[in-house]
Amino acid sequence: MAHGPYSNSLPDLKTPAFVNDWRRGALITAAIFAVASAVLAYLAASLQHDGFQHLLRSYLMGFVLCWSFALGGQALLMLQYLTGGKWGLVVRRPLEAMARTLPLVALLFLPIGFCMKRLYLWARISDPAAAFKAHLITHDEAHAIAWKRPMLGIGSVWIQTIICFAIWFTFLYFMDRWSVQRDADPEPHVHFWQTRFENISGFGLVIYSITMTVVAIDWVMSLDVTWYSSMYGFLFLVGQGYAAFALVIYTTLKLSKAEPLKTVLRVTEQHDLGKLAFAFVMLNIYIAYSQFLIIWSGNLPDEIPWYLDRIRGGWGVIATLDFVFHWLVPFTLLLSRDIKRNKRRLMLVCGIMIFARCWDTFWLIAPNFPDAARNLHLSFGLFEYVTVPITVGAIWMWYYFTQLQKRPIVQTNDPHFDEIMEAQHAHA
Amino acid sequence: MPVQEGIYGLLAEFNTPEELVVAAKAAHDSGWRRLDCYTPYCLEEAAEAIGFHRNFVPLVCLVGGLMGLTAMFLMETWVAVFAYPLNVAGRPLFSWPAFVVPAYEWTILWAGLSAGFGMLALCGLPSLYHPLFNAPNFRDGATTDKFFLCLEASDPKFSILESRAFLENFQPTSVVEVEY
Repeated sequence: MAHGPYSNSLPDLKTPAFVNDWRRGALITAAIFAVASAVLAYLAASLQHDGFQHLLRSYLMGFVLCWSFALGGQALLMLQYLTGGKWGLVVRRPLEAMARTLPLVALLFLPIGFCMKRLYLWARISDPAAAFKAHLITHDEAHAIAWKRPMLGIGSVWIQTIICFAIWFTFLYFMDRWSVQRDADPEPHVHFWQTRFENISGFGLVIYSITMTVVAIDWVMSLDVTWYSSMYGFLFLVGQGYAAFALVIYTTLKLSKAEPLKTVLRVTEQHDLGKLAFAFVMLNIYIAYSQFLIIWSGNLPDEIPWYLDRIRGGWGVIATLDFVFHWLVPFTLLLSRDIKRNKRRLMLVCGIMIFARCWDTFWLIAPNFPDAARNLHLSFGLFEYVTVPITVGAIWMWYYFTQLQKRPIVQTNDPHFDEIMEAQHAHA
Repeated sequence: MPVQEGIYGLLAEFNTPEELVVAAKAAHDSGWRRLDCYTPYCLEEAAEAIGFHRNFVPLVCLVGGLMGLTAMFLMETWVAVFAYPLNVAGRPLFSWPAFVVPAYEWTILWAGLSAGFGMLALCGLPSLYHPLFNAPNFRDGATTDKFFLCLEASDPKFSILESRAFLENFQPTSVVEVEY
């Protein structure tokens, strides 16, 4: 790996060799859980006659999670370019690696794209009026499908998806290219690079929030075609930040067992990362609870069923635990200064946060379907929501770790570079 | 309280935070425990140098927050269920989702106030008199641009001559005796 002309004077910035073991671990996990998923899908289809429907739904869950990590990584990358600071420099390369998994995420979309009719009611019903007359759908559903047709149609969703991916790829292309050029720049053009990244990130974050909202509506919210919430996009945005940030802290802490991050990641920066994670925990519950409170207060027949589907019939347990994993546990733990400053404990909290995102995605996706709404029941299909997302996620992790190995783990030409490379710092 | 007389301590003045941290760390390492740093702004390294230890501010803050939470939640429950029961759109009287927001606000409010006032109280404030203000250079510089290290006479290691010699090793701008 070349770091430019003055690489001789620089310490070794290569990604530690044990990332290879992580890659192997991810592939083995993917293989084991793929087999488990196949067995479960076969059992569910043959014994419970569910016709592989849970396979696609749980695949959607896995896909949404991978997409959250990749795009959330890109958004956080833009965020830290805009704010500056040492915490950003420490996590920059892992975030870049997350953003560079976008091609894999685009590939993972294909099964969803080609099986829309099996997942989405609006894709199955081509003529809502006729379907209503034939008593296939309710009046509300017919009305919603007819009115939402410009956005929710197979061709339309494909076009929106392709445009959004094209936009994300454009940002990915420039940010990645400039990042490599910045490393290779023989002159310390610190200010030049800073401004350049700030400019693309400012636009990038605005466009990210719009494109992300569009696909979150297309892929997830439209599973319940009658329901809508204007907060949904923001809820997803914060959720993505929550998941991606927990993952990047986890990765960085795990990498800091060896040089160069052993020197670079100091307790001060780790503490800062912990504090920002705490902010995400607060913001996430704030948005999620606001949406719930507004819909609960309104108590309108076209909004409230979405929550009732997710609370009644056993789902209340999942919803309560979602609150516990998502907010109560990380919040109470992250209150403590000691936990934020202890590597192993902060890694544990981040692990809980990633798990909470998976739990929440399950709660968002699974109760949309008529056989599952207000009826949480034990079946082989239910376990597919564990095995399939782990399979998809492990494949994504393998690709993420591969990307992580491709670049030096610390970026040069940054205003804080010299400072974080010092073995001992006294910034008094 | 009896009037205290005699020497409060030796006060060394430094021009830079680095010098202060070096001297403070050396003093702490050589066994000094009754000593304190005075800086015009928050200097975490100085706190670490003289053996940063736990205090009760986080606990006071936590207890305050929990008290706020409990007080508001119980008050809302009392009002809505017992004192002034109203039928709001057919909802149950004990509609806890609506209670969460004010209870949360009170948690923050009480936690914040407890942390602020608890910190002041645990610092011994308000205090009408502190011997250090007898030193003119402290009065002038402690809140602007000087960094002070005070070795207090209550420490068993204290000795006017040896402690002064110790402080002078670090080339302070001045070392003065502070009277009660």
